Amino acid sequence: MFHSVNLYKKTLAALIVGYAYGPFTSLAAPLFPSPAIGRVHIVGQAQQQISGIVRDAAGLPLQGVSISVSGKPGGTTTDEDGNYVIGAGLGERIRFTMVGYVPQEIEVTEQQQYDVVLEMDASSLSEVVVVGYGTQKKVNLSGAVDQVDAKALEHRPISNVSQGLQGLIPNLNIRFNSGAPGQAAEVNIRGVTSINGGGPLIMIDGVQSSSAELNLIAPQDIASISVIKDASAAAIYGARAAFGVILITTKTGAKGGTNVNYSNNFTWNTPTVMPEMITDPYVFSRLLETSTDNTPWDNVNYSDQFYEYARQRSDDPGVPGVRINPTDPTLWEYMGNRDWTRYFFDDQNFSHNHDLSISGVSENAKVRYYLSGGYNRQNSALTLAEDYFDRYSLRAKVDYQLADWIRFGNNTSMSNTMRKSPSRLNVFGIYNFFPTDYDVNPDGTWANSPVGRAAAGIVDGGQTANRLEQLQTQFTTELNFWKRLLKVNADFTYRKTDENYNSYQTAYTIGYGPDDVREEGDNSATRQGVFEYYRVFNVYGTLSKDIGRHSLSAILGFSQEDYRRERFSVSRNGLISSSFPTIGLATGDATGNEIIDTYALRGAFYRLGYIYDDRYIIELNGRYDGSSRFPKDKRFGFFPSGSVAWRVDQESFMEGARNILSNLKLRASYGSLGNQNISTGDEAVNNYGYIPFMSTFQTDYLIGGERPFGISTPGLVSPNYTWEKVNTLNFGVDLGFFRDRFSVVFDHYTRNTQGMLTLGRDLPDILGASEPRENAADLKTQGWELSLGYRDSYTVGGSPFTLETRLVLSDTWSHITRFDNPNSVITQYYEGMELGEIWGLQYDGLFQSPEEIARLDQTSIIPWGALQIVPGWPKFKDLDGNGVIEKGYTLGDTKDLSVIGNSTERLRFGVDFNMNWKSFDLRMFWQGVGKRDYYPLHFVYWGAYQQPYGNMYGHLLDFYRAESDSEIDRGKHSQSYLNLGLADQNLDARFPVLQSWLADVNLGTRIDESMGMAIPNTGHMLNGAYLRLKNLTFGYTLPRRITERVGIANLRIFATGENLFEFSEIKKYFDPETTNASINTNPGQGTGGAGGNGMTYPFQRSYSFGVNIMF
Amino acid sequence: MYTINTIMKRFFKWVFMLSVTISAGACNDDFLNKLPETSIGRENFFNTEEDLNLAVYNLYDFPSTGIYTDEAYTLTDNAYSTGNVELKTMMTTNPSSSTITGGWNWEQLRNVNFFLENFRNAAISEERLAHFEGLGRFFRARFYVSKVKRYSDVPWVDAVIATDNEAVLFGTRDSREIVVNNLLADYEFAASNVEETAPQGAVTRWLVKADYARFLLYEATYRIYHPELNLQGTAPDLLDRAAALAKDIMDNGPFSLYATGNPAEDYGALFKSQNLGGNPEIIFARYYEANLLNGDSGEGVFGNYETYPLKDLVQTYLMADGSYYSSQPNYQENEFVQEFANRDPRLYQTYAYPGWELVRSGTYAQGAGLYVQQLAKNFSGYHQIKGFYNTTNQDERNNMDVPLYRLAEILLIYAEAKAELGELTQEDLDVSVNLLRGRAGMPAMTVNPPVDPVKAAKYPNVTSAQRAAIYEIRRERRVELAFEGHRHDDLMRWGAGKVLESEPQGIYFSRLGQHDLTGDGVPDIVLLPSSQAIPAVREKNSLGITLAYYRVGTFGQDVSVFLGGATSGNLQIIEDSGNFEEPKYYYRPVPQQQVMLNPNLEQVFGWE
Repeated sequence: MFHSVNLYKKTLAALIVGYAYGPFTSLAAPLFPSPAIGRVHIVGQAQQQISGIVRDAAGLPLQGVSISVSGKPGGTTTDEDGNYVIGAGLGERIRFTMVGYVPQEIEVTEQQQYDVVLEMDASSLSEVVVVGYGTQKKVNLSGAVDQVDAKALEHRPISNVSQGLQGLIPNLNIRFNSGAPGQAAEVNIRGVTSINGGGPLIMIDGVQSSSAELNLIAPQDIASISVIKDASAAAIYGARAAFGVILITTKTGAKGGTNVNYSNNFTWNTPTVMPEMITDPYVFSRLLETSTDNTPWDNVNYSDQFYEYARQRSDDPGVPGVRINPTDPTLWEYMGNRDWTRYFFDDQNFSHNHDLSISGVSENAKVRYYLSGGYNRQNSALTLAEDYFDRYSLRAKVDYQLADWIRFGNNTSMSNTMRKSPSRLNVFGIYNFFPTDYDVNPDGTWANSPVGRAAAGIVDGGQTANRLEQLQTQFTTELNFWKRLLKVNADFTYRKTDENYNSYQTAYTIGYGPDDVREEGDNSATRQGVFEYYRVFNVYGTLSKDIGRHSLSAILGFSQEDYRRERFSVSRNGLISSSFPTIGLATGDATGNEIIDTYALRGAFYRLGYIYDDRYIIELNGRYDGSSRFPKDKRFGFFPSGSVAWRVDQESFMEGARNILSNLKLRASYGSLGNQNISTGDEAVNNYGYIPFMSTFQTDYLIGGERPFGISTPGLVSPNYTWEKVNTLNFGVDLGFFRDRFSVVFDHYTRNTQGMLTLGRDLPDILGASEPRENAADLKTQGWELSLGYRDSYTVGGSPFTLETRLVLSDTWSHITRFDNPNSVITQYYEGMELGEIWGLQYDGLFQSPEEIARLDQTSIIPWGALQIVPGWPKFKDLDGNGVIEKGYTLGDTKDLSVIGNSTERLRFGVDFNMNWKSFDLRMFWQGVGKRDYYPLHFVYWGAYQQPYGNMYGHLLDFYRAESDSEIDRGKHSQSYLNLGLADQNLDARFPVLQSWLADVNLGTRIDESMGMAIPNTGHMLNGAYLRLKNLTFGYTLPRRITERVGIANLRIFATGENLFEFSEIKKYFDPETTNASINTNPGQGTGGAGGNGMTYPFQRSYSFGVNIMF
Repeated sequence: MYTINTIMKRFFKWVFMLSVTISAGACNDDFLNKLPETSIGRENFFNTEEDLNLAVYNLYDFPSTGIYTDEAYTLTDNAYSTGNVELKTMMTTNPSSSTITGGWNWEQLRNVNFFLENFRNAAISEERLAHFEGLGRFFRARFYVSKVKRYSDVPWVDAVIATDNEAVLFGTRDSREIVVNNLLADYEFAASNVEETAPQGAVTRWLVKADYARFLLYEATYRIYHPELNLQGTAPDLLDRAAALAKDIMDNGPFSLYATGNPAEDYGALFKSQNLGGNPEIIFARYYEANLLNGDSGEGVFGNYETYPLKDLVQTYLMADGSYYSSQPNYQENEFVQEFANRDPRLYQTYAYPGWELVRSGTYAQGAGLYVQQLAKNFSGYHQIKGFYNTTNQDERNNMDVPLYRLAEILLIYAEAKAELGELTQEDLDVSVNLLRGRAGMPAMTVNPPVDPVKAAKYPNVTSAQRAAIYEIRRERRVELAFEGHRHDDLMRWGAGKVLESEPQGIYFSRLGQHDLTGDGVPDIVLLPSSQAIPAVREKNSLGITLAYYRVGTFGQDVSVFLGGATSGNLQIIEDSGNFEEPKYYYRPVPQQQVMLNPNLEQVFGWE
C-alpha cells in the first residue's frame, strides 16, 4: 500500500469514494479499486532502444512524463510532443508516471515502440468530501470546506487526533495549554466566536463529540476529517454549527479478503523548554534576601550560619547538602544546590501505542466490516510516582446488504481511559522550590523541607484515579427507492459515559531530625461518579437526479438529541487504614453533592442543490432548530444559508488556458446560523440560563454542632434570552495550475455574531446582583485563509521521486461592534474594541537618581501602596504630560495607558513536506504563529520580583544595582556570586532594582487592579511568535519480495520526532505554546497567573520509532 | 416512469410521514422542556420552616478570626499594617472617588429583601413568621449599619429591585436620619420578635439586642462628636436607649463574666478557647470544630507578616496598682523589659511580654522557645498573642472558637452611655467597668478619677461634665476589647481621626549595643550603627545563645531596622503617616463609576 504515493493515493481515493464517507454513500461505486497499474506480460532478454508517444485519454500528447526502467538508475521524460526514447532489456519494466495521472507500467517484449495512454487520476476528479448528512464531489463544493485524509495522522507519535490536526488546515486552530497526559485540546475554527466561547461542532460518524472526547478515539480508526468553515454547508447543522463543523469519519472495511493491520510506536519524551534556574545556594539565598530587604516585608533573613553553609557548598559542591544543625542537633539542616524541577520531571519518559485492525468485505460483497483495538499509554514527565493516561479502545463496524434496496449497519465503539496521578501533586508548586531545599535525610526519611514534603506527598500521600468508560453504539439503515433516485437514511445512536473518580489522601512522614520523625497531612477519601447518556436520532431522505446538463439534489431530514448527566460526589475524612483508603473505611463526617445537567435539541433540515453543466453550482441549506436552553416562546430559530460557485475552468473560453490554468472556481456563500452555547464554566447557567434558580451550599457556620446548608438567592434573568445569531459571508477561489501541480485555495470571510448572551446594560450596583444575561452584544470577526499546494514527481536515480508540499496560512481578528458600555470603560467590552488588546504603560527605562524620581509621580502604581520607589525602579512615559503616572479606565481618558499590543494569535501557519523515493518516505511538518504579543505575568519570568516564594532565573541576574558592595560585604560572598558580577554596580540593566512584590499578580491582573511591573508595559512585552518543527518522520518499506515470503503484504518501519525544534524569542523562558494558557479576551477579568503560564506539565519533545505491518 | 414532479411529491410526503410517525410520541413540549433538578426556583421553595432556615443561613454575615487583625487592616492606634489599608492610602495619597472604590456592594441587601418578600409563603404560625421576619430585618439593619458607617447618606431600599425599576436604580441618597430611623425600626422589631433561644451559634434575641445596643452607642456618640451632621440634639435619646438595652441584657440576660479567680489567665482564655459554648460571658461566637469546620487564625496574627501591635496601646494599660503608666517618670524612655513591669495583667494576655515562650514557630518567626522580639524594618517589634493560637497541635488550633459578642462589651456600652449622658454613678461603675477590673485583678475605678493628660490630649473634643470618667471608660474599653475589631469604629465615632496622624511607634531603645529582651538580664540582641558591618563571627551570651545583630539607622539608610534617632529612639514604622482631613475622611466617596452610571448619587463632605 505504501509502494508509491500515487498508488497509495489512488487506493485511498477509491476507498474514500466507495465507503469511507458514511456507511452508505453510494452503492454504485466499485467495491474494489480497478487495477492501478496496467501490465503486459511478454517475455524477452536483449537490451534495446524503446520509444513511443505518451498521450492523455483525449489523445493529446503529454509533456514531462517521467519514464524509468524498474531497478535501474537514470531515466527520461517526454518532450512537448509526448515522445520518449529509453533503453531497456527484454522482460524489464518501463514505468510512466506523472502527477495527476495513474502510473502505467509496461513489460518490454520484442516490440520496440510502445504508445501509452495515461488515464487521469480519478482521485483528483472524483475526490469526495464529507459534508453534513452526505458527501459531495470536491469539485462541486460551493462552500469553504477542507479535508485531510488518514495519511496526515499516520505514524506520528501522537496520542490524540487533535495533536495530529494542529497546523494542517488553515484557520483550524488547535491549542494545548500544557503537556499533561491526556490533555484535551482547545479547538477553534476561524478565530473568536462569541464572547461566550463556543467552539466548532465536532461530529464523529454523525454523533456530536467534545474536544475532550477526541482523546477517546484512536487516530488509526480515522479515515478522513472534513472541516466546514463557512455558513453554507454548516447550516444543515443549524443551531450548533455557528462556529464551524469538524466531521470525522471512521474507517470501514474496503478490501476483499481479510486485511490485518498492526502498527505501533514507542516514544521517548523529554521536556521542550525548562526555565534556567539559579541553583547556586549562595547566589540564590543572597538574591532572595536582597529582594525582600528592599521592601517593607523583610521576611527573608537567612542566618550567618546559613550563609556560611551556603558559601561552603557553593565553593565546594562536595560538601553534603544535609547535616545535623550545629546549633540544634535535634534537627536536620539543608543546603540543596539543584534545580528541583529536574528532580520531579524526568528528562526521559516513555509512552507507547499499539493499534490492530481487521477489516474486509465478504466474497458476495454483502458484508463489510472493520474491527479495531488500540492501546495507548502516555506517561507524564513526573518521576517518583505513577502519573499517566491510559486508553483502551475498541471499535466494531459492520454493515450488511439485506436486499438490493436495504442495508443495515452498526458501529459500536468502546473507550476506556484512566488518568492516574498522585493526589497531592501540585505541578505549579514544583516550579517554586528553592534550590536550597532538599529531598531525603541521611536516614532515608523525607526531608523537612518543601521538596521533601512534596515528594513525600507524591510518593506516600495518596493517589487519584479517574476512569472513564464510554460505550457508543449506532444503528444505521439505508433504503433505496426508484433505482436509487431516492435514498432514505436513518440512524439512532446511544452513548453512555461513566466516570469513576477515586481519590484519597493519606498522611506521610517527615524527618525533622535524627530521632524526630513526624506524621503530617490529612487522611481523606473522595469518590465521584458520573452517569451520562446522549441519544441522537436522525432520519433524512436524499433525492438526486441528473437530467441532461441539469443535476439536482435534495435532502430533507429530521433530527433530535437529548443529553443527561448526573454527577454525585462523596468525601469523608478519617481513613482508618492507608492500605484500604475507602469511604467505607473512614470515620469522619461525610459530605456529598449531586449535580444533574440536561439538554435537548430538535430540528428539521434541508439541502437543495442544483448544478448546471458542471459549471454553475447553487446550494441552499437550512435548519429549523429548537433548544431546551431557551424559554418556550424563544426556543425555536430558523437558520438558512445559500452558496454559489462558478467553475470558470469548465467554460469553453478557458479551453485554451487549461494547460496552464487547470482549475478555477469562484465561490461565495452567506448564511445565518444560531448559537446556543454559553460557556460560563457553570453548567447550570449554560443549560438553564433563562430560569432563576436557587442552589444550596454548606455554610461556614457551626450551628448546633453542625454545618448547616444555606440556599442562595436566585440571580436575575432577562426576558430577552434566545439564540445568538451568527451571519457569515464567505468568498473563495480555488486555483490549479499545470494539471493541478500547483494549487491555491483562498477564502476571505466576515462573521457577525449578533445578540451575544452577555450581561446587558450596566446598571448601578444598588441592583444587588449581576445584570441578567441577554442578547446584548455583537461581535465582528474577519479573516482569511490561504493554502498553497505543490506536488510533482521527478526521476531521481532511476526511480520516481514524489514531492508533496502544502503551505497553509491564516489570519483572523475580531472587534466588538455592540456592547452596552455607555461610558466606554476599558475594563469592560466596548464598541470598537479589538479582542485581545493589551492595555499598558510605555516603558521608559529605569530611574537613575532621586531627582529623577522626584520629577515624576508614580505613587499610584506602587504595588500594595507599600513599596518604595528608589533608583532602579521602572520609569514609564507620562503620555498626558501631567507629571503623574496614572491609569485611566475610560476610553478617551486613559491617562498614561495605551494599547501596547494584542495577545491574539495572528498569521498562523503550517508547512508540510512529504517525499517518497523508492521505499523511503520522509515527512517534515512545521507549524507556528506569525504574530502575537505576550506579556508575562508569572514566576517563571519574574521570579522573586513577583513574590519571595519564586525562584531566581538566569535572565533576572541583569538587575539594577545602584552601587558595588563594600569590601566587607564582598568578603562574605561566595566566589560564584562575585564571578557573576552580582557585587558590582549595574546601572544599565534590563530588570529593575531587585524588589519583591514589584511584579506581584496577587492584587489582580485586570488593568485597574494590576500594579508595578504587573501592569503590562512595552519594556517587557515579549514576542510570542514561533516556528516549530512539529514533526519529522522517516520511513522505510521493506521490499515486498522479502516480506511476501513470510506472508506479510507490507512492512514499514519508521522513526519520527515531534516538537523537535523551535524558533521563538520566548523559548528562553518557557515553551512558546504555554502562552496559550493566558489567552483571555474579556477585559472584565484579569489574565491571572492561572492556567499555568509555564508552570504546568512541561511540553514534550518526542522521539519514537515503530512498525506498521499489513497481512 | 415517474415525472420529477411526482417523485418530489412522493419523496416529501414520505419523509414527512416518516418524521411525523417517529416523533409523534415525542412531539410534545416535554422533549424540549428541561428543568434544573439540583437547584430550585422560588415558587417551589419557602414552604416550610426548614426552607426559611436555609434562606436565613444565607444571610449570616458575621466576622471570624479576622477580628484579631482588623484593627491593623482598618488603621488604628492599636495596630498597624504594612499591607494595603484603605485609610492609610487615603491619608498618604490624594484620594478621590476614582481611587477609593470599595464598599459599594448591595448583594446582601438583595438577599435580605428577597427573603423578606418570600418568607410569608411558609405555612407556619404567625409567631414563627414574626421570628423569621425579625431575623430578616436584623440582617437588613446590620447591612445598613455598615453602609451608614462608610457613606452616612445612602439610598434606603426595602424591596428587591427589578432591572426596569429606574426610580430606585437611579435614585438619590437618603439622609442619615431617615436611614438610621428605618434601620432602628428593623432592630426594634427584631429585638421583640426573634426567639430568645436558638441552637448554639445561631442568632438569638440577645444577640439582636447586643448588636442593637452596639449601634445605638455608635450612632449616639457619632452624632455628639460630629458637628458636621448637625444632629447633636438627637443623641441623648439614643444614649438612653443604648443604656436601657445594655441594662436589659445585664439584668435579664443569662450572662455573667467568665472568671475562675485567676486574673492572670481568665481574660486571655476567652480568645484561645476550644469550647466557648458553655461560657457564660458569650452572647454570640463563631464556633469551630477540627475537620468539620476549621478555625485556625493563622500565624500572621502573631506578627511580622503584615500586621503588628503598637506602642501606643502598650502605654494605655494601667499600672497594676491602678495608676497611669504615663505618670511613671520618663516613661517614654522605658526599654522593652521595663515597659512591661507591673502592668494590668491583661497586657500579658494580649502582648508577647519579656519571657513569653513561643511554641508555634513558623515562617514568620524564629524557632520555638523563649521568644526574643524579632525586629524588622517597618515593624514595631511588638507581637500580639491575643487571638494567636500558640500550639503546634493543628487540631487544637482548628477547634478554637471566636467570641464576637460578650458581656464585657455590654458593660462598657452601659458605662459609656451613662457617662456621655452625664448620669454615671459609682453603682453604675460597680455593675459594669469594675466587674471587668475585678476579673483582671485590677483595683476598682471611681466615678471621678484624675484626668490623664495623655488622654486629654488625645481626645480634646470631650467636653462632658464627666470628662474624666469618659477618658477612663474609653481606656477600659480599649484595653478590655483590644484586637477584637472595635478600635477603628471607636476612633471614628469619637471624632478622633487626627489621632492617626501621629506616626506609629515601636519598641524604645535608649542606646546602641547589647539589650535584654527576655527579662532575664542577659543580652539577646546587639544594635550596631549603620556604619558598622555585622561581624562574621557573632557573639554568644552567657546562656550560650548567639546574639541577634541589627544594623540600625534612620529612614533611607541601608540598615536592618529604623530608629527614631541615630543612637536611640523608638523603632520607626512609617516615615509619614499622612493627614487625616476632617470631616472628609470619616466618610468614603461613592465610587466614580457608580456616579457615572447614576449621576443622582451626589458626593458628600468634600469628596469628588
